[in-house]
Amino acid sequence: MLKGIGASEGIGIGRVMIIKEQSLEYTPKEVTDIEAELERFRGSVDKFCDNTMAQADAIRQSTGEKEAEILLGHIAIIRDPFMGGEIENLIKANQCAESAVEQICKMFIDMFSATGDDLTMQRAADVKDIRDGLLSILLGVEEVKISDAPAGTVLVCKELTPSMTAGIKKENIVGIITETGSKTSHSAILARALEIPAALSVPNAVAQLSSGEQVIVDGDNGEVITAPDQAQIDEYTAKREAFLRERRELENYRGKATANADGTEYELFCNIGTPKDAVKADDADGEGVGLFRTEFLFMDRSSLPTEDEQFDAYKQASLILKGKPLIIRTLDIGGDKEIPYLGLEKEENPFMGFRAIRYCLKNRDMFKSQIKAILRASAFGDIRIMFPLITAVEELREGKALVEEAKADLKASGIDFDENIQVGVMTETAASGVIADLLAEEADFFSIGTNDLTGYTMAADRGNSDVEYLYSPFQPSVLRMIRRIITCARNKGIPVGMCGEAAANPAMIPLLISFGLTEFSVSAPSVLKVRKNIAKWTKAEADAVTEKVMGFTTEKEITDYLNTVI
Amino acid sequence: MVSKKVTLVNAQGFHMRPASVFAQAMAKYTSSVTIKFNGNDYNAKSLLNIIAACIKCGSEIELVCDGPDENEALAEAAQMIESGLGE
Repeated sequence: MLKGIGASEGIGIGRVMIIKEQSLEYTPKEVTDIEAELERFRGSVDKFCDNTMAQADAIRQSTGEKEAEILLGHIAIIRDPFMGGEIENLIKANQCAESAVEQICKMFIDMFSATGDDLTMQRAADVKDIRDGLLSILLGVEEVKISDAPAGTVLVCKELTPSMTAGIKKENIVGIITETGSKTSHSAILARALEIPAALSVPNAVAQLSSGEQVIVDGDNGEVITAPDQAQIDEYTAKREAFLRERRELENYRGKATANADGTEYELFCNIGTPKDAVKADDADGEGVGLFRTEFLFMDRSSLPTEDEQFDAYKQASLILKGKPLIIRTLDIGGDKEIPYLGLEKEENPFMGFRAIRYCLKNRDMFKSQIKAILRASAFGDIRIMFPLITAVEELREGKALVEEAKADLKASGIDFDENIQVGVMTETAASGVIADLLAEEADFFSIGTNDLTGYTMAADRGNSDVEYLYSPFQPSVLRMIRRIITCARNKGIPVGMCGEAAANPAMIPLLISFGLTEFSVSAPSVLKVRKNIAKWTKAEADAVTEKVMGFTTEKEITDYLNTVI
Repeated sequence: MVSKKVTLVNAQGFHMRPASVFAQAMAKYTSSVTIKFNGNDYNAKSLLNIIAACIKCGSEIELVCDGPDENEALAEAAQMIESGLGE
């Protein structure tokens, strides 16, 4: 078995076709007839554009407009006056067209690669593709014809370039294996758009596989099974069918409201860790963001981020969401999340120590700059503030007082913000569950963080294999805690969400519907699944299941029973 | 020479499509069009230069136009960026 990165979901079973790279070697020579060489270069550009245009047409038919645009981008790049001008300048200095193209392309490839920015680095792949295309034309090398691949082909190549993708006939290609590429590379995006399972970054795939041999590509985990036996083929064929069936079903839920079988609507949000993740939330059909973790702004650096830096990040996420709600959780450091420059002392028991809201309230300048940044961003969308690890009403009061101070500062400086910004509590400690009635009096909303709530209620660390068996959100104690939090919120008429992993668990969903949760916040890939699972239940059915569950005395009885009803 | 500070509002920042549309629109002016960002100057008529600048959503940039039609160039450039570059 070979192992790479799963970049496009699904299972592909077929025969290998190796796409070898053509040699694009040449001997640089000095040219004397500069006019003729310029003509040769311009001719190659024209031909490149014609080819690319034809490929874009093909890909528009097979895949879609968005993917065709990647190729049309190649034309825009090669027609860029700066690029063409620089290449022609080198030719005018007696260099041959091949060498001029190679040098200028290399300059841009290096420049883009050096930015360290994902999207910009992908442009480096575009320039490489253009360079190879132009060199092939200049050297008269025939490009490989992927369009001739027979049905049931698994493409194996070093790198899947957009121009290669253009030749792919969706009905014939069942899998893709490459030696390079990440989940966000063009190869991955195109493979997903074509709905072809893909394993990328499989080391030495070209050398290890040979044309014609049978393989199974598992696009979920990036595994490539070589020489599969009949049992494996049967197993994966069944998996493949189940996957395709589920994909078809899930797509029916895209663009629909999130509602249970009675038509009661819920908010279905996403959890994100960076502003860029907001794009994923949006693409996944999330209706907003229920948890924006802000730790990324503080990690992997040597000093605190400025208010402006934070403002930029929050505003960026908000603009991407185009007015959909964005719940920003204030800094949750300490515990397992270490930030060296804060100089936090090593603690005996960090999870019960100086972390999250406790640290922030003792470091008011830092906390206030974060709150001001969030407030400023609130002028650009529906932003809400959430405090983590609340265990006592005073913490919420102090936090809210700081929000009021920050508002007064901004007002004095004439800076816009949302006057009515909501301030909520992440209920994730046993204490917050027990005093949920008191907190609900003063909070604008609750969001249940089930990961920590389970850990703190059970006093069990899920990373410790000796006590891990205790760590379950289906423990009667945790379920009672969740029910209490939701009930207290509903009694006060405030919204209550769940942003822990349990919110996406099909077995938890009927309980949450029955308890009266109003918002689910899950990882982007879970959005459609959760919408589908919510739609399955009427309130009456969910109540019946919940009544039974709350009557059991052990976690095992509860999960055994729930497994029979989902 | 005229200049104006503007904030980029389209979600993906100055990337392939927005940069391409913008560079094309600027190409028709005789004046030079420069983007000042993070202490560097980028030729706004070159898609590749704009991409290399790696400008993200929410960033403030300064547009500088210099030449006979500088006012028209600056007006269109600012309007395009403020309206989200067609995204």
